[in-house]
Amino acid sequence: MKIKILLTALMAWSLTAQAAPQKIEFWTFSMKPKFTPYFETLVHNYEAANPGVKIEWIDFPWDVIQSKLVTRIVAGTPPALVNLNVPWADEFARDGLLTPVDALLADARPRYLASTLEDLTFNGRTYGFPMYSNVAVITYNKDLFKAAGLTHAPRSMDEELDYARRIAASTGQAGLCPALSKIDGLFMQQGLAVIANGKAVFNSPRHVAFIQKLADTYKAGGLLKDSLFAEDNFPAAIAAYKGGRLGMLLAPPTAVPRIESDAKDIYAVTDVAPAPLGPTGIADGGWLVHFAVPRGVDPALLPAIGKFARYLTDDDNQLTFAKQASVYPAMAHAANDPYFTTLPQHATPAQKAVSAGAVSMPHSHTLYVAGIDDYDELKRYLVKAVEAGVTGKQDIKQALDEAVAIWNKKLARQSKGHGA
Amino acid sequence: MKLSRRSLAAWLFLTPALILLAVFSFWPVGYGSYLAFTDYSLIRPTSWVGLDNFRYIFDNDMFVGGLKNSLLFLLMVPFVQIGALSLAVLVNNKLPGIRYFRAAFYVPVVTTVSVVGIMWGFMFHEQGALNYVMMSLQLVHAPIGWLSNDTLALFSIMFVTLWRGLGWYMVMYLAALQAVPADMQEAAILDGANRWQRFWKITVPMLRPTIMVCTILSVLAALKAYQEVDVLTQGGPMNSTFTALYYAYDQGLKHLKLPRALAASFIVSLFCVSIALLCLRYIRPKHR
Amino acid sequence: MKPRHFQILGHYLILCALAVVCVFPFWWTLVTALSSEGNIFAFPPTFWPRAPSLENFAEVFRAIPMLSFYKNSIFIALCTVFWKLALCSMAAYPLARMQFRGRRLVFGLILATLVLPSEVNFLVNFITVTKLSLVDTYTGVILPNVVTAVAILLLKQAFEEVPQDLIDAARVDGASEWTIFSKIMLPLIAPWLATVGILTAVEAWNEYIWPSIVMSKPDEFPLSVGVLYLRGTFGSSTRVIAAGTVLTILPTLAAFLFTQRFFMRGMDGAVK
Repeated sequence: MKIKILLTALMAWSLTAQAAPQKIEFWTFSMKPKFTPYFETLVHNYEAANPGVKIEWIDFPWDVIQSKLVTRIVAGTPPALVNLNVPWADEFARDGLLTPVDALLADARPRYLASTLEDLTFNGRTYGFPMYSNVAVITYNKDLFKAAGLTHAPRSMDEELDYARRIAASTGQAGLCPALSKIDGLFMQQGLAVIANGKAVFNSPRHVAFIQKLADTYKAGGLLKDSLFAEDNFPAAIAAYKGGRLGMLLAPPTAVPRIESDAKDIYAVTDVAPAPLGPTGIADGGWLVHFAVPRGVDPALLPAIGKFARYLTDDDNQLTFAKQASVYPAMAHAANDPYFTTLPQHATPAQKAVSAGAVSMPHSHTLYVAGIDDYDELKRYLVKAVEAGVTGKQDIKQALDEAVAIWNKKLARQSKGHGA
Repeated sequence: MKLSRRSLAAWLFLTPALILLAVFSFWPVGYGSYLAFTDYSLIRPTSWVGLDNFRYIFDNDMFVGGLKNSLLFLLMVPFVQIGALSLAVLVNNKLPGIRYFRAAFYVPVVTTVSVVGIMWGFMFHEQGALNYVMMSLQLVHAPIGWLSNDTLALFSIMFVTLWRGLGWYMVMYLAALQAVPADMQEAAILDGANRWQRFWKITVPMLRPTIMVCTILSVLAALKAYQEVDVLTQGGPMNSTFTALYYAYDQGLKHLKLPRALAASFIVSLFCVSIALLCLRYIRPKHR
Repeated sequence: MKPRHFQILGHYLILCALAVVCVFPFWWTLVTALSSEGNIFAFPPTFWPRAPSLENFAEVFRAIPMLSFYKNSIFIALCTVFWKLALCSMAAYPLARMQFRGRRLVFGLILATLVLPSEVNFLVNFITVTKLSLVDTYTGVILPNVVTAVAILLLKQAFEEVPQDLIDAARVDGASEWTIFSKIMLPLIAPWLATVGILTAVEAWNEYIWPSIVMSKPDEFPLSVGVLYLRGTFGSSTRVIAAGTVLTILPTLAAFLFTQRFFMRGMDGAVK
């Protein structure tokens, strides 16, 4: 009997809990436990300055937040704001599961870095409040460079590959370990589109030529063979660099302190430079994280949500967060803060990395192929084709042609009866 | 008069349970099957699309690969059954402390799958216990990517499912073994039959119904495996450990592509029901 | 007699080897949970705790709402057991001891659910639960699992063991069916109720997928879901995750060791 009453009470309570006034629930991923103080302070300050508003902060592990969000949207009780990355936002926006925030950005709009807002604009409407991003810098081993007769950091992809070949020739070590499982992003950075007008186009002569350059460098031993095509080859790359077996490492600035703590000898001969921009002027390694508004949020609550979101992602808070997390803010003013732009007299590689990244940040875009369902499946074909071509197992043009054919077949099927 | 009053009472007793069964066991079958043929979504009114969802998933690597993987899981069934039967035979005695061994073998069954995932995640990690042991014994010279190698990961997951299932079937077999009448065994001993002969000629035939039931359950469980995938690899690496039902879970609950997810689970249901019906028809005559 | 001794020894050795395989992951997790020095990502592993301490366990309680998880799991388990025993015994009784129209049909329907692959139902049940506004409620977690064919069948068997004459006598005395059911039958099958109850409790405690679908607030997670939340939050702090894992298994293990025979008996019933 008691339990029955308990159950009914619980159900009633949970149903009425949703009618609390001006309650804003926002979700982050992977912020606990490190950033618990940061967010708790933030919430506390906002509530103090805005009586009548109750903020609830929930943090989820990265791999779980998608399904939790979906559950809540279906149930009609979505959180007011949710942390997303750009590919997720693209998919959710396409499926109609996000609310555009153009009106909510209001006068804060010009203060965000233009490149970040561009990333979040789909079909002419913006779907998020940019929070932070990452960008790659290039660290290089001065000893290996000297041995190969190189005097300065590479300034383009061609130079990177050329340097890699020369390092291999003179020292026998590999020069570069590009993340070829993300060849789609690499193509895009080099100005080579992956799809155009709904069709795969990565078998054009320019694409083939680019892969050819990679293949030549591979043959010359310039590319690190370890895990070159693995889904995440960063651990192998950084391990090789720390072991002195890799000449150049493309990494986010947060990796540099790791080199310092794990391999002091290599750190001592490391120098850092901004990563070469591609012909598109886009810096590598961009990964924007932002706050989006899910579908189904109470429209009456939107202005309050907008206000909080603007606070959440304003210059001061972004700067504080970026410093703590070693990432870059998405607001222009914060991104140009002296913390990032000025270098002390004898800067350590770690400090140089931070300011090198800041140089590239305004040029950073999250590179991914938008608008495709089940993209992973297609990407696998592309990566396998590139692998066959680069390692010389198959003729490059032939491999790419085959992959393009498969892509086009599947893309045609998708545009026909889009399931949901 | 009494009859109908009792009928009424009977139905009153049954109603709450039947309502819940209707809502949570029968309704999903019907409604789910229907939705698999539509384009059900949150933002558009639903309309019939016939076999479109099925065409899509059968053209999709992740589902087809998942189906293949689910079928590969069937490889496990003989190992589980033979293993469980052997364990049951080994613990079917009154040796002192045998209770503890039975408990040890059963413990994996009562452990929640999330904990199983965490523990085996530790075991299978590149710098984890399994690699440590194998490298210390000089069996291999470099850490093996049990869960990060696309070919190996599925088998690692299968092993975990086997580890979890052994105890459960062991208990079933144990109960069956203990139901074997002792006098038949004694008569056979008197006749001069040795252990092996007794086992194969008496015990196993008596165990036949149990073996059949366990095998069917095992086959069905293999086809429906997906929880271990969720807690160990989430379908990775490179989507190589998808199973058919995991595809349904992933598509439905992470990407909200419900029609496709339901089409996938429809296919799985089809497999399961066919096998179950086939087996029932096959066993029935012998069972009586 | 010597060969016999060897045989027994060999027997034990094999059992030990197999038991080690089954139990090793638990042991290793325990060792990791108790270790406190060395790299926080405590590899390479050791087989005995290094600098044993309870520090990791304290960290678990600090970092995640562990006590809430326990509370939630207990609540879910208790409610599930109560409702399951209540509804399934109510359903089993007429099937066992009453004649009524449609008996065959109902029995067939219940058997049919054994054939239906229930795992595939989670998608539609998810839709149903959201439509009934039961998301993020424990009712939503419990309801779909409360009635199962297996429980009904086990309890039906239990009822069938009660001699018919007792019931007939009570009916002759004019007792209502409900009185017979609640005052006579239920007490008589108490051991069976206990068996089903314990099996249900463990099953409810261990359930992971369904609660993780229905509940979205970390504070309201049951333990099985919460422990994965711990893994997600702590990523590479193996020792803390191990500690959380130990805290999760301990209740189940303890309960299991004390009630072992119920499991075995439940299986006996299922086999029949």
